[in-house]
Amino acid sequence: MRLHATILQLKAMTAQQSGSRRRLLAWLPGVIGVAIVLYTFIGGGYLVSVVSFGLIYALFVTGLNLFMGYTGQVSFGQNAFAAISGYMSAVLTTTYGWGVAPALACGIAATLVVALVVGYPALRLKGHYLAMATLAIGLIAYEVAVQWQSVTQGYMGISGIPPLGVFGYEITSDRGNLAFLALVAGLGVGAAALIRHSRLGRAMTAVAGSEDAARALGIDVARYKLLAFLIAAAYAGLAGSLFVHVVGFVSPEVYGLHMVNLAFTMLYVGGIGTIAGPLVGAIIIILLPETFRSFRDYQDMAYGAVLILLLIYAPRGLASLSDLWSGRARG
Amino acid sequence: MNEISYIIQVLVSGLGLGCIYGLIGIGYCVIYNASGIVNFAQGAFVMLGGMITQLLLWNHGVPLLLSGAIAVACVVAIAIVIERIVVRPLWDRNASTFVMILATLAVQIVLEGATLLIAGDQPKTLPVFTDLPPLRIGTVAISYQLIWIAAASAVIIFGLAAFFGHTRVGKAMRACAINREAAALQGIRVSTMLMMAFALSAALGAIAGILVTPTQVTAFNVGLPFAIAGFIAAIVGGFGRPFGAFLGGLALGVTQAGAVVVFGSGFKSGAALAVLLIFLFVRPQGILGTAK
Repeated sequence: MRLHATILQLKAMTAQQSGSRRRLLAWLPGVIGVAIVLYTFIGGGYLVSVVSFGLIYALFVTGLNLFMGYTGQVSFGQNAFAAISGYMSAVLTTTYGWGVAPALACGIAATLVVALVVGYPALRLKGHYLAMATLAIGLIAYEVAVQWQSVTQGYMGISGIPPLGVFGYEITSDRGNLAFLALVAGLGVGAAALIRHSRLGRAMTAVAGSEDAARALGIDVARYKLLAFLIAAAYAGLAGSLFVHVVGFVSPEVYGLHMVNLAFTMLYVGGIGTIAGPLVGAIIIILLPETFRSFRDYQDMAYGAVLILLLIYAPRGLASLSDLWSGRARG
Repeated sequence: MNEISYIIQVLVSGLGLGCIYGLIGIGYCVIYNASGIVNFAQGAFVMLGGMITQLLLWNHGVPLLLSGAIAVACVVAIAIVIERIVVRPLWDRNASTFVMILATLAVQIVLEGATLLIAGDQPKTLPVFTDLPPLRIGTVAISYQLIWIAAASAVIIFGLAAFFGHTRVGKAMRACAINREAAALQGIRVSTMLMMAFALSAALGAIAGILVTPTQVTAFNVGLPFAIAGFIAAIVGGFGRPFGAFLGGLALGVTQAGAVVVFGSGFKSGAALAVLLIFLFVRPQGILGTAK
């Protein structure tokens, strides 16, 4: 009997150890992400703008992760929300001479209104119906951007969009952009972490687990789905607007299916449903084509292939590394 | 009078395109019935059908009919490979609907990328199958390509009806659609049926792609609009009903043509997507109701 108790005790101790190691490993990707951003900031060079894009994408993917990873829903149309806000920002600042901050706020507000109108009927759908409806929303946004030439200038796109800034102060250097975007992305990821551990986040996880069970617990499933959708749309809108101000140019291609493909690959590389995953995935995926120059022409194809491999062999992305580790420790 | 004949003219070409959408829509239903999977790479089969035929015809001088046959065989082979290396592992793991959709959408993107690398980004086209001036019925002109499309669709529809109604494999596939577990208990190899469904669906897509290419251009990125149109056809007809999907395709083709007449050609894809959203939001079970 005593021996048995000792063994149990030992087992509990190892479990505790591997638990803390796992917690450490869960932090590791985030630490690496921050290190890469710091390294580029100090090192400078063209990587600064590359990592800046990575941070913008990190925001976009964080929203996607809230809706899909936490709430267990599907959206292939988040690019529509980025497009609405991005174009709103671009048109208001160039054609109407608005300041960047009000234009950006207006863009996000418009995104939320559209997300509410579209999300209400769309979120009653499930499975492939929901997938196709959201994909259609993304494609409609693309069509509108191409066809509504009097406002969007079609394929030509809008150029000369002012850089980020407020009260006459503008961020003109790439480093300034990087620092600002790092701050915004940090806040975005932090907010997602807070949401994750709030009442809202727990309700979202419950919906992801089982809608029926969540309903039985008194959770208004439809309401929380819509709320998650709106938050995701706001993240997408913010990313879409930041993009046009950082690049100074917008065209329909910016928010095409390429964006969806890229975002999903980032989400799956970083680990869907994790807090730091979107940030890490975005930075890794944005740096890949820079590492392998010849990679450029194959970009979409390569991302698609990586995504397929991840879905089949490592559906939890980098987050499953810690499983591997603790598995080895146990074995 | 001129106005009316113009409208009839547009509607007739709408029916032609509708047949194509219908064939693609049937492709969705065949896979869905065998497995419950919605294959978002369906558009790639359509694109590859047209592109491979074009490549063989122009670059290697292979006669049109032979090029078409080889293209269909190639697309079927590609579909079987996809089924084996992408769909099967996920299927075996009981992956969620969403993961399956994302994986097949990624397959679509990979195939598009590969086509872009091999064939370049220039739009291409095929010669019409019968190079004669269009038939005239009153003031309405009907091109021979349209007759080809309609005739081929009719042959395929009757062929499919015979296949599902009278052959062992066809009946087994229908059994899988009704209840996969019961079908498996009857000794039907459900996984083999999945592979055959992919092959059949790819052949339908490739044939649709070859038929439609002479009437418009093809390029590496034409697949997705066709995939969406086929999906709409399947939804309108009630998902999982092959012949409903064909009727849905015809309805979509005519609606789209109507939208082009009223709003101008820029609204072609917009109209299709609008039909999709209306159906999804208002009546996702389609006009005839879903098969299951």
